[in-house]
Amino acid sequence: MKFTKKRASTKQEIPTASMPDIVFMLLLFFMVTTTLREHDVLVSFKLPDAKAIEKIENKRLVSYLWVGGDGRIQIDDSLVKLNEIQSIMYGKRVSLPNIIVSLRIDRNSDMGVVTDIQQELRKASCLRINYSTYLKL
Amino acid sequence: MVKIKKRKLGEAEIPTSSMADIAFLLLLFFLVSTTIDVDTGIGLTLPEFIEVKDQVFVPISKDRLANLLINEQGDVLLDGDVIAIPQIKNNLKARIESKINQPKNKKLIVSVKTDRKTNYNLYIQALDQVKGAYAEVKDTYATSVYGRKLYDLTQDEDKDVREKIPTIISIAEPEQVKK
Repeated sequence: MKFTKKRASTKQEIPTASMPDIVFMLLLFFMVTTTLREHDVLVSFKLPDAKAIEKIENKRLVSYLWVGGDGRIQIDDSLVKLNEIQSIMYGKRVSLPNIIVSLRIDRNSDMGVVTDIQQELRKASCLRINYSTYLKL
Repeated sequence: MVKIKKRKLGEAEIPTSSMADIAFLLLLFFLVSTTIDVDTGIGLTLPEFIEVKDQVFVPISKDRLANLLINEQGDVLLDGDVIAIPQIKNNLKARIESKINQPKNKKLIVSVKTDRKTNYNLYIQALDQVKGAYAEVKDTYATSVYGRKLYDLTQDEDKDVREKIPTIISIAEPEQVKK
């Protein structure tokens, strides 16, 4: 008796024609989902460099405060005056008790404005701060 | 009559087999190039705000205090001696190390004081040096006592290191520039 091996009659090939479509879909998915919640930064600033820096481990707690080279101050998406910082930050602190304020201050700023902001933050009892810097290489 | 032969057109087809590779390349490019900007910086905890009339003066002995002054010209004074910013770290390291075995209320306090006109970058550089000094002392202590780097310590050991070498940095309020 002769045995014949049974073979599938269909082609043994994976159709690769739709592969680019699948990959494009992946690509689109990544491009669409990685919308970082960015603020519109209205001030121009260049951060200083430092070596002994740490990473803010919990991004949810961070609130940003920008100070531009021209001394303008921005919180969230609007420019604010120095005397408004206290009430804004206090409001933030009430909703988020252990808030970390990341200070993104231009490297050519004077310490005067930095200190004024720190005083306002102290009055708003936002005591955890972080001077945002780049890593010095 | 010469018969003009119609040229037979080849089948017009774009090779699509490499399309997937191109798309993958694009995908990889996007995955690699989207740097989610990491929040790095020098962390600090500010003191609580207390009204001037309620402030209590606490005397601190001279040997506990490292006074760091930065003026608007960028000159740095550490306990009255003029030094350059990169020298701060080594100067402080010895002083922090000498106080490891002291009780809690005898540890070194680094006071950083600036003028209102001092450049912010200089202040950060100085603060970086102070932080770096603390970090290096902690690392040396961790290696000598536990034989491991600071980041590999268990929580209890880390707590012990923090207790032995607490980072105390006092940011003094700047003096008003006389007008």
